[in-house]
Amino acid sequence: MDYFVSTVIFTGIALIGVLGVYLITGLTGLFSLGQAAFMAIGGYVSAVLIRNYNVPVVPAVALAIVAAMLAALLVGLPTVRLRRDYISLVTLGFGEAIVALLNNSANITGGAMGISGIPQLTTLPVVLVSVVVCLALVILYKNSKYGRQCLALRSDELAAKSMGIDVYRLKLITFLFAGALTGYSGVLFGFYTTYLEPAAFNWIISAEWTIIVFVGGVNSLTGTVLATILLTWLPEFLRFASEWRVAIYCVIVLLIVNYRTAGIMGERELSPKTLRRLLGRTKEAPR
Amino acid sequence: MLVQNILNGISLGSVYALIAVGFALIFNVLKFSNFSQGGVMTVTAYAGYVASRYLSDRLDSLVLFAAVLAAAAVSGAVIAAAVERLAFRRLRRTKSEPVYYFISSITMGILLENLITIYASSNFYSYPRFFATSAVPLFGVNVAVTDMMMFALSIAALLALLFILHRTKIGLGIRAACFDVNTVQLMGMNPDFLVTTALMISGALGGVSGVFLGMNYTLYPQLGQMVVKGFVASVLGGLGSIHGAVIGAVLLGILEIFFISWVGAGWAPVFVFIVMLAFLLVRPRGIAGIIVQEKA
Repeated sequence: MDYFVSTVIFTGIALIGVLGVYLITGLTGLFSLGQAAFMAIGGYVSAVLIRNYNVPVVPAVALAIVAAMLAALLVGLPTVRLRRDYISLVTLGFGEAIVALLNNSANITGGAMGISGIPQLTTLPVVLVSVVVCLALVILYKNSKYGRQCLALRSDELAAKSMGIDVYRLKLITFLFAGALTGYSGVLFGFYTTYLEPAAFNWIISAEWTIIVFVGGVNSLTGTVLATILLTWLPEFLRFASEWRVAIYCVIVLLIVNYRTAGIMGERELSPKTLRRLLGRTKEAPR
Repeated sequence: MLVQNILNGISLGSVYALIAVGFALIFNVLKFSNFSQGGVMTVTAYAGYVASRYLSDRLDSLVLFAAVLAAAAVSGAVIAAAVERLAFRRLRRTKSEPVYYFISSITMGILLENLITIYASSNFYSYPRFFATSAVPLFGVNVAVTDMMMFALSIAALLALLFILHRTKIGLGIRAACFDVNTVQLMGMNPDFLVTTALMISGALGGVSGVFLGMNYTLYPQLGQMVVKGFVASVLGGLGSIHGAVIGAVLLGILEIFFISWVGAGWAPVFVFIVMLAFLLVRPRGIAGIIVQEKA
């Protein structure tokens, strides 16, 4: 049972992080290869504040999220005006720089040895409530003016600009929101494992999150959630395959990307409307 | 000290250049950053190691070194061809957007890295010493023989690439495919063949760089993650520009060596990041200065 609970908690934490990537990649069409760095910032800031400065939990968490957003501002402000490819480059460099920074400020962060003795505050209810709240926020954002503008920006930046959308501001807002979400997932992560080390946050993690978004279907939030749950659980199911499980995981992802390119869900979303239709309560509108 | 740093930087940069040029080549043809190159580099570094173990009794120093490089380059080309077949062929058939290639190639890279992890079970290996003398004096400083070899052979590989691209029929085909794959097909060329060839060339370059990286550091499955250096260099160089990628890679190598000697290996990535950001703000079109038009 403990094992089951811990898998659910890790899935929830990953889901919140992947939601951040969904905002950037799914909605805006940009690639962040340094998203895990925001997770590191959230985790480390909250851990250091509580452990070294005895800050109460709630302000520590709030400050951690603010720190992640500040970092997102620092990266986003100069880069949103650049070509899309540069955003993946700058976020990649930023991620590596953060890992280096954590490794080298050993007096605060414990360096490569990591930071331990963080109080375990993340419990199942906390994670479940967080997931619901974050998911609700992302759904609201997607359906808001901003979300629709993001989709316009993703399909054609020039056209979006000519329709009067302030694309730079929009990218920055989305980037900040994603930074906050990912930062918060880092807070939950630190408070669950009670231990943080810089090596856990390199660019491979960010790349894996982007893969998850694509497997679910880059146009579908439902798909993203589904893929996060599936792909976080898959290695657990494949435990019998021991050392081969990551390889099998990669093969499955490759098959999905190559043979169902639009992702598991394609463009479909699970909304009250589609749910009603699935349950057959309403008739199809005549065409 | 200054000369020493510059020389070391150039030799490191020339290895990065091999990776960056592979990126630029594939970006030209298929319009995406081919991260599977990292996995290819890991496999070839191990392939080179296996070759060196088998051949070390029969050959020595320079011949052995050449044989190991050849083995790595060939295995790199073969694996890159396999990657094309498994990860990109179908996407090309369905005319998918470049982002899907990107996802497919990253997954392929992770897969190759994991296959090597299973094979080598995370053990560390190191290449034998190929040369009797380890350093020779040059410009009043000692230069490691491996550094010189890396530099010379990288230059040779890059020249060979330029020769293939600009003086052979296949190269002409690849350059044509860079403009428009569909038109190339209308002109009676086989796009599958051209794309596979381009990938094999970049795989062979990756194979050589894999051996160099394995000699520079130790052999470990995550070696291929050095692929990000090539990515950084090729983007800084101007996307898709071969010359820009080489210049970007050498600059990156020199920068890294300088920062390592000034602020230590730990802080170097932070400073490299700051320089990179400043550079992009000053010259957002990259070193080569080709403005790739966003769709208009």
